[in-house]
Amino acid sequence: MTSSAVDPARLAVERRRIFLALFSALAIALHTLEFLLPSPVPWFRLGIANILALMALFLFDGKAAWSVNMVRIVVASLFLGTFLSPRFFLSLSGGVLATAAMTTSRKLAGEKIGPVGVSVLGATGHAIGQLLCAWILLVRHDGLWYLLPFLLLLAIVGGVVNGFIADFLLEKLRKMPAFVKESADAVADE
Amino acid sequence: MALNDYWQRLTRLDRGIVLALLTFCALVFVVLGLRSPGQSVQVRQNQGTVFNAPLAEDRSVELQGPLGVTRLEIANGKARIISSPCPYKVCIGMGEIHREGEIVACVPNRLLVQVIGQQGVEKENRYDLLSR
Repeated sequence: MTSSAVDPARLAVERRRIFLALFSALAIALHTLEFLLPSPVPWFRLGIANILALMALFLFDGKAAWSVNMVRIVVASLFLGTFLSPRFFLSLSGGVLATAAMTTSRKLAGEKIGPVGVSVLGATGHAIGQLLCAWILLVRHDGLWYLLPFLLLLAIVGGVVNGFIADFLLEKLRKMPAFVKESADAVADE
Repeated sequence: MALNDYWQRLTRLDRGIVLALLTFCALVFVVLGLRSPGQSVQVRQNQGTVFNAPLAEDRSVELQGPLGVTRLEIANGKARIISSPCPYKVCIGMGEIHREGEIVACVPNRLLVQVIGQQGVEKENRYDLLSR
């Protein structure tokens, strides 16, 4: 009987808060790990930390994705010691454009778009955001845009891989009691 | 069978997005690949040109950036960076360039290596006149 005394709306709010904190913490860990990992192709990063923002977007909403990604970029840069350095701004502009692309596409397309599509668009936004920032801050030369197709191709590969990982994880998570209720609430909200 | 399982996870829009982006990439690569070979190599740093040499002569130069020395090699009509103090070695990974307009950038070391065509200088002047 005590459990029924808990206000379900408050429970949902608290649950969301806790899961977003966990997602952010995991994203920071993945971001740091990916930074430390030696990469086979030097400039190729999968951006695996973005998986957590993707999951926040699909389990909760756009606001959740924004908070996971922004918290991740700022806190991870503090861990790595790159806060306010050019690398931080590259990371931030990429993150802002990626999150904007992801949340907007989800808002516009709704159920028609899956994690892979959102992830690929996010990765594309990330590549464009980074190049834009590099152009503004570091190399003010139009020739820099010749790099876009290379970055875009790598972004598509990374985006597809991340999208599938997020899709598998979402499938597993949605079976958990906490999220079965969560998605039911989300449907009720819409 | 396994591949089909992955395919089924995509919505129609997902497939469309990936296909559209890949097509765009392929088109840009084709357009870039059609450019004619360039005449010389120019290295820019902080808006200024720090090095300029024809592609036809083999040589190796050391370029000083904020992080240290980046080595640029010109051999067999192609230019590439063979060593750099930057953390990710993106510039080395970008390989050789020889077509007009192609670039290799070492963003951490603030170096931009670009192949210039015959009318390269003229084009740039015109652009500057228009934009200023």
